[in-house]
Amino acid sequence: MVCTVGAARGLDGRGGAARAGVAYAVGSLLGGVLVFGGLGLLASRLHPGRFWLEAAVALAAVAAVSDLAGLRVRPQLPFQVPERWRQTLPLPLATLLYGLLIGTGLTTYVPAAAAWALLALTLALGKLAPALVIGVCIGAGRALPVVGLAPLRENAAARRAFDRTAQRRWPLRSVRALAAVALAAGGAAALAGPGRAAVVATGAEDPSVAGADLAWQAPGTGGFLLHAGGAAAQLPGSDPAIGGALIAWHVGAQVTVASRQTLAPVAQENVPGVQKLAVSDRWLAYRAGTATGGARIVVQQLTDLANARTVASVSWPAQLGRPALSGNRVVFHTATQTGSSIAVVDLSTGKRRLLRRSRSVQVLEPALLGSDLLYVRVARCSQQLRLGGLAGGRDRVLLTLPPLAGQDLGRERGHTDQGSRVPCPGRPRPTTTMLWTTALTTRFAYVTTLHRTAGGSGAPTLLRITR
Amino acid sequence: MPDSGSTSGLSDAIAGTSSRRGFLARAGRLLIAVAGGGALAGALRVQDAEGFHFCGHIYTPGSCPHPTGLPRIDAQGFPLRARDGKPVDDLGRVVDAAGRPVDDQGHILLDPDGQPLPPAPRTKVCVAAAREYGFRAHTDGAWYRCCGGHVRKLVDCCGYVRRRINGDAALTGYCYAGRKVFCVQYYDTKVPC
Repeated sequence: MVCTVGAARGLDGRGGAARAGVAYAVGSLLGGVLVFGGLGLLASRLHPGRFWLEAAVALAAVAAVSDLAGLRVRPQLPFQVPERWRQTLPLPLATLLYGLLIGTGLTTYVPAAAAWALLALTLALGKLAPALVIGVCIGAGRALPVVGLAPLRENAAARRAFDRTAQRRWPLRSVRALAAVALAAGGAAALAGPGRAAVVATGAEDPSVAGADLAWQAPGTGGFLLHAGGAAAQLPGSDPAIGGALIAWHVGAQVTVASRQTLAPVAQENVPGVQKLAVSDRWLAYRAGTATGGARIVVQQLTDLANARTVASVSWPAQLGRPALSGNRVVFHTATQTGSSIAVVDLSTGKRRLLRRSRSVQVLEPALLGSDLLYVRVARCSQQLRLGGLAGGRDRVLLTLPPLAGQDLGRERGHTDQGSRVPCPGRPRPTTTMLWTTALTTRFAYVTTLHRTAGGSGAPTLLRITR
Repeated sequence: MPDSGSTSGLSDAIAGTSSRRGFLARAGRLLIAVAGGGALAGALRVQDAEGFHFCGHIYTPGSCPHPTGLPRIDAQGFPLRARDGKPVDDLGRVVDAAGRPVDDQGHILLDPDGQPLPPAPRTKVCVAAAREYGFRAHTDGAWYRCCGGHVRKLVDCCGYVRRRINGDAALTGYCYAGRKVFCVQYYDTKVPC
């Protein structure tokens, strides 16, 4: 291929060589993007799970070892690009087509086993963006040697030096070793990367975190506390919340705030209708239901439990979410038939600020850590666990689940699809699992998933995702 | 209806270019019959019928964006699931009268603590289209066709727009006061036909 692209210089001068080189590079990049992007698109519809990712990473490890050891690359596709093209087509067109074929990374001789492992990783990652990156890298890797070496073809000394080098083993061995290292790093990153959820506990919801400790609620059983490095211990109450050095739970209307280490009570009070709690060294916040089906968020200073400040209230059928505390701020969601919002109230000033709101999607179940906001966004075509800033800006998606509802064809049977419209392109399969309550630490994001069972309430599972 | 009669499709299409009133449709049908263009009309009918993606839709504006696909609405313009007429919210979930998500048997979906899942917005289909595409929604006129044994009311979603949802030039249709059709939706009545 170096000769073909370089030959353009002899035929059409420098301009011709540049055109042929650019055409080859464009074709090569396009080939990589089309093949790996197509596979990524397909995989994003298939939603491969953790098992397939681990299998692909295992394959990548084998390929990396094979490349490091310089083993023979198998399988090989003995497909050669059609030589006739360079004789019958304008040279830029021929090199464009050659680039398209070679840029796929899979046609002709494959110099490293990493190429096959990348194919498997592309499918297992289940995302378009990394697949496109892999495609661009493969295409560029195929294009650069040709484009870079083609001009040297005219220089006899350079050509001899290149030939001598190319006939030795070390250049290819070096390239394969580099590919192996890069592949190993990529595989490890894929396993540890964000968006990969690990199950912390089944039958568990409403995570609450402080330092390395984690508390949750087991519906129908009660609250649990997990100290770092220890075993989960059941608490003498429900809906636990931890913060600072404290823990809170309730038994019916009786709310207890206690030391997190000893569980010795430091404060107790009676709160009719109490549902969910949040606690810090200074504040106790709770959501309580009202007799008419509404709800309110109330905050109290632990040193002055006689004073209860209502920071939000709604009437049925609107809902308030579970409160979360961070420093002097309490954050919660409001969901109504006309929209949803996440608000933060500065308890030292009483100032309230809307952090997220929408009239078309749900923004739910926030958790706050300093200036980081974790929340769930449920839209028509996907559910996302998002991490963003208090000030807004671009959120990072930590976890994505399919939509909660299906769709029809957008047209009636027997009718054309012209003018039809469906809400979600690609017809994603709906799920019966929804994202629910959250918690946030400096390293991890926690989220409850509710798996809806026929005729029952959602079965919760607590997941942990690396930030 | 676009898919009945050999000439009705073309004539309705011709009529549709102006105001789609019934008498114009009949005039168009007569014109083609007089011209003796039965074969031509038949051929054209097939092509024109290709433009209609649900029963009763007699011209080519696309569907309004709808949470479940086909733009079926209730009498107030809120979205219904086309296959069974159940109300849905903006997330496509079946909901009860209070907007709480329910299962197909009508049972309220609950969280593990027994509380109903939070309601999602439920927006009138034309209003949602207007928000998405940046115009003010108006529901002006409508026309009626017999579909599946019941009278179907076909409702234009109108606005002061130059382009319709298809991307090409918007038409007057059943919109008034200079407004034009952006997209279409329908309401299935219980009136037999």
